[in-house]
Amino acid sequence: MPFSAFWRNGELWLLACMLLVAGALGCGRSESYPSQPITLLCPWSAGGGTDRVSRQVAAQLEGALGVPVNVINATGGSGVTGHTRGAQARNDGYTLTMVTVELNMLHWRGLTSVTYKDFHPLHLLNRDSAALFVRADSSIASLDQLRDEIAQSPGKLKASGTAFGGIWHVAMAGWLDQQGVDPTAATWISINGSGPSIQELNAGGVDFICCSLPEVDALLASGDVRCLGVMSDERVGGFEQVPTFKEQGHDWSIAGWRGLAAPIGIPADRLERLEAAIGEVAHSEELRDFMSQAGFNLSLEGSEQFAQTLSRQDLIFEKVLTGPAFTTIKAEQFGAMLFPLMILTLLVGLLAVLIWKSFVSQKSRRPEPLVWPKLFGVITICVFYWLVSETVGFLLGAILLIIAVGLMVSPREQRLGNMKLTVPFAFLFSVLVYQGFAIWLSVPLPRGWWGW
Amino acid sequence: MMDEIQQAFSQVFFDPAIWLIVTGAAIYGIFLGAMPGLTATMGVALFVPITYWMEPVPALAAIVTMVACAIFAGDIPTTLMRVPGTPASAAYADDAYELAKRGQAQRALVVALWFSVCGGIFGGVLLMLVGHQLAAIATLFSVAEYFWLYLMGLSCAVIVGKEGVLRSAIGLLLGLFFSTVGLSAVFGEARFTFGHPELFQGINFIPAMIGLFGLSEVLRGVMSSDQVSATGVAQGSERGVFVSTLRTFFRRQGAWWRSSLLGTVIGALPGAGADMAAWVCVSVSKRFSRTPEEYGRGSSEAIADACSANSSSLAAAWVPALVFGIPGDSVTAIAIGVLYMKNLQPGPEIFEQQGALVYSLYFLFLLANLVMLPVGWLAIRASQQVLRVPRWILLPVVTLFCVVGSFAVNGSRFDVMLMLAFGLLGVLCERYRVSIGAMVLGLILGGPLEERFVQTLAGSQGNWTGFFDRPVALVLAILCVLIWGRVLWKTAVKPRGDGPVPDPPDSATL
Repeated sequence: MPFSAFWRNGELWLLACMLLVAGALGCGRSESYPSQPITLLCPWSAGGGTDRVSRQVAAQLEGALGVPVNVINATGGSGVTGHTRGAQARNDGYTLTMVTVELNMLHWRGLTSVTYKDFHPLHLLNRDSAALFVRADSSIASLDQLRDEIAQSPGKLKASGTAFGGIWHVAMAGWLDQQGVDPTAATWISINGSGPSIQELNAGGVDFICCSLPEVDALLASGDVRCLGVMSDERVGGFEQVPTFKEQGHDWSIAGWRGLAAPIGIPADRLERLEAAIGEVAHSEELRDFMSQAGFNLSLEGSEQFAQTLSRQDLIFEKVLTGPAFTTIKAEQFGAMLFPLMILTLLVGLLAVLIWKSFVSQKSRRPEPLVWPKLFGVITICVFYWLVSETVGFLLGAILLIIAVGLMVSPREQRLGNMKLTVPFAFLFSVLVYQGFAIWLSVPLPRGWWGW
Repeated sequence: MMDEIQQAFSQVFFDPAIWLIVTGAAIYGIFLGAMPGLTATMGVALFVPITYWMEPVPALAAIVTMVACAIFAGDIPTTLMRVPGTPASAAYADDAYELAKRGQAQRALVVALWFSVCGGIFGGVLLMLVGHQLAAIATLFSVAEYFWLYLMGLSCAVIVGKEGVLRSAIGLLLGLFFSTVGLSAVFGEARFTFGHPELFQGINFIPAMIGLFGLSEVLRGVMSSDQVSATGVAQGSERGVFVSTLRTFFRRQGAWWRSSLLGTVIGALPGAGADMAAWVCVSVSKRFSRTPEEYGRGSSEAIADACSANSSSLAAAWVPALVFGIPGDSVTAIAIGVLYMKNLQPGPEIFEQQGALVYSLYFLFLLANLVMLPVGWLAIRASQQVLRVPRWILLPVVTLFCVVGSFAVNGSRFDVMLMLAFGLLGVLCERYRVSIGAMVLGLILGGPLEERFVQTLAGSQGNWTGFFDRPVALVLAILCVLIWGRVLWKTAVKPRGDGPVPDPPDSATL
C-alpha cells in the first residue's frame, strides 16, 4: 500500500523529469583554455608543508592564467588518495596535482598501481633533504657514533620522524643499509608526521629522529636539538652550519620533493599554456621569497628534467623498498589486525550483553515505525543528484533536489500550493549556495551546463 | 617587560586597522563555521596566501578571530538543524537541538555565545599569566601518556551518553571500528577496504558526522507524519534570554572556572584540541551536576561548560606552537607557517625576543572574543529566521547542506556516498538508542588512539609494561582504571536513591 501511494502521489512525473535530465547527458562545449576554475589537488592535509606550497602556487597561478585555481586537500592513505585522484582526473587541463616524493614510493610498497608514468610532470618546485637529529643532552655526538651504537646493540635505540615506510624512514633505513648495518637494528616508531615526532623526541620517547631541516628549525635554533648531518651532496642554504653526510664519510643522500604534474593525455596546446604559466610562477621573485621565508628549499626543474629525476628516483626507491633490507622490516612484531580485533571482540561482547538484557528485561518500548518508501525516497534523490551533478552541474542538480525533497514532505493536498513557493526558492537558494561555496570560499562545486 | 606589554596593548587596541580586520574576520569566521562541512582549518588555509601581504599582528589577528568565531558559529546549525558545523559541537549537539525543539533555540545559542566569549577571554588571560610555564606540560607527554589521555577522552563519551553506559559503549566501539577502515597510517597496510581504492582514505569523520546527525534528522523528519516545524517557535523575550544567561553564569561560576581551566590544559597538549576539551568537560560537568539526568536531553549546563572549554582551549593550542614550533592543532600548524613567512621563529626564546608579538597575540584573543559578542549576537538573531521556515522548505535545504557540506570537506564524491550511508546508520542508531555522539568521537580519536597504542608497544618491544613505566603515564592509567571501575560499579549495582531517572538505561528492548 505505501508503495502504490508513493507512485500515485505525483512522484512519477518528477521521476520522469529526472530521467529526462539524466538522459540528456553529454553536452560538449568548446571554449578557449583556460575558461573555468582549475583544481589543484594536494594529497596532504590543510596546514602542512605541501598544502602551504600548493596554496602559494595556486594564488600565483591565478594571476598567470586568469582563472581561479582552487586547492583541494585530497588526503588519506599516506598520499594514495591524492595521487590516485590526480592520475585518474579528466585530462582536460583543469585538474593539476601537487605530487610529492611518495609518488615514487607508494607503488613499490604495493599500495597503489599509480606510478610517475601516469603523470605528465610540469615543474619541480622544492626539495628538502633528510637529516638526523638528537636532543641536545644526548650522548651521541657524531654519525659514526650513532651507527656504531645501533650496530652494537640492535633494538636499543628508538627513532621516528614519519609513519612506517614514509620517506624519512626510508632515508634512515637506506643509510644504515648502505653502511652495512641491519636497518631494523634501530627501532622505528611509526608516528604520523614530523610534528608529533619532534614532540616525542622532546618528551624523551625516542632517541633520534629523521626529517627535513626546516621542520626542526625552531628547536635547532634554540639549541634544544642537535643535527648530526644532512643527507645531501652540498650544505643546505640557511643551514650552512649543518655538515652533510658526505663530509663525514657517509656517501648517502636522499630528499623529499614537491612538484606540479598533470594527468597524461592533455592536448598539446593546453599543455603548452600550462607549462608557460607554471614556468613563469616558478621563476618569479615572489615564489622565491615565499619559499625561503617559509623555510622550503627551492629547487626548480622544468618538465623534461623533472621527468628524468622521476625515473631516476624511481630506481633508487625500488632498490631500497624492494631490497632485502626493507622486506625484513615489513614483518612487524604484531599485525595490523591486533587493534581492530580487540575492538571487534569488545563490540561483539557488548552486543551480546545488550541482546541478553533486552531478552530478560520485561519492559519494552516500541520504536517509531520506519517508513521505508520515504526513507529511500530521500536517499534516492541524493543519489540521483550525485549521479547527474558532475554532468548537469551543481545548480540544476541542487534545484531538482530541493524541489524533489520539498514535494516529498508536503502533504498531498498542499503540494501544489507549496510548489509555487518552492520552485522560485529552489532557484534562488541554489544560486546563493553556489555563490557562497564556489565563489567566496573557493570550494569547487560541479559546473555542468550552466557554468557560473 | 612592561614596555612590551604596553607596546602590544597599543598595537592591538589603538590601531583602527586591527579593529577593522578583526570585525571582518569575525563575520567571515561566523559564516564559515555556520556552513556544515567547512571547518575553521579550511578557512584559515584559504586565507594564508593573503597573509603574505600583511604585517604579522594583523595576520595573526585575522587568524585568531576567524577560528574563535568559526568554533562558536558551529553551534548555530547544530542548534537549529542538528548538523554540527564543526566537530567541537558534536559533544553537545543533542542538548542544543533538544532545547531548540522546545522553542529555546535562542537561549541555547546565547548560552553558547556567552560562555564561548568568557572561555576565550579566560584562555587569553591565563596564557598571559603562565604562558610558557604551560608549555612544560607538553614535554611530559610521550606516546604512552597520549594513549591514556585519548582513552580518558573516549571514556568521557561513554559517561556522558544519555543512552546509558552499554549503548554508548557500543556506539563508541562502532566508531573506533570504523576508524580502522582504510590504509593504516602506522602499518602502511590496507584494512577492510575490500580492494576499493576509494576506501583507502578511510572514513572521514566530517561526512560521517553530517550523515549521523544531520541527514538522519532529515530522514526521521520525512518519515514522521506530524507537520509541525521541526524546531519549536521561539519563546521569551531577547532581554529575558540574556538575563537568564547571565544569571546562569554567575550561579555556575565554579563550574565555569573548572571547565575553562581544564579546556586550557587540554588545549596546551599538542594533538588534543577543542573537540576533546569539549567532551571531557561535559563529562566532568555531568559528574558534578545536580541534574545529571538532563545531560543529552537539553541541558544548558552541558552547553555552557563545553563552550567555555572548547573556546579556552583555542588559545592554549598556541603555546606548544610558539614554544616548540610543534602545532597543537591544524590551525596553529598554518599559523606557524605564517610566522615563518614573517621571519619570526617560534622557539623557547620567542618570549624574550618577540615579547611584544606574543603579548599582542594574547591581547588579540581578548579583542577577538569581545568583537565576537556583538557579531555573534547578530548572527544568532539572523539565524532565528530559520525557525520560521516551513518544514517543506527546511528539510530540502538541510538535505542540500548535508550533500554539499560532505562534498566540500575534501571535494570527494565518495564522501557524499559515505554521508548517505551514515545517514541511514544514524536512523538505525536512534531507533535502537545507540549513541551517535560517542560514535563520532570514536571516529575522531580512533586513529590517534590506535597509533599511540601501537607506538607504545613498539617502543617497549611489544612489552605491555611500556604503558606504565613513566610516572605521568602511570598516574593517567590509574585515573582511567578508576573511571572505569566507577562506571562498572554503577552499572553493576542498580542505581538506588539517585533521584528520578526519566529514561533508565538498558531498559528498552532491541
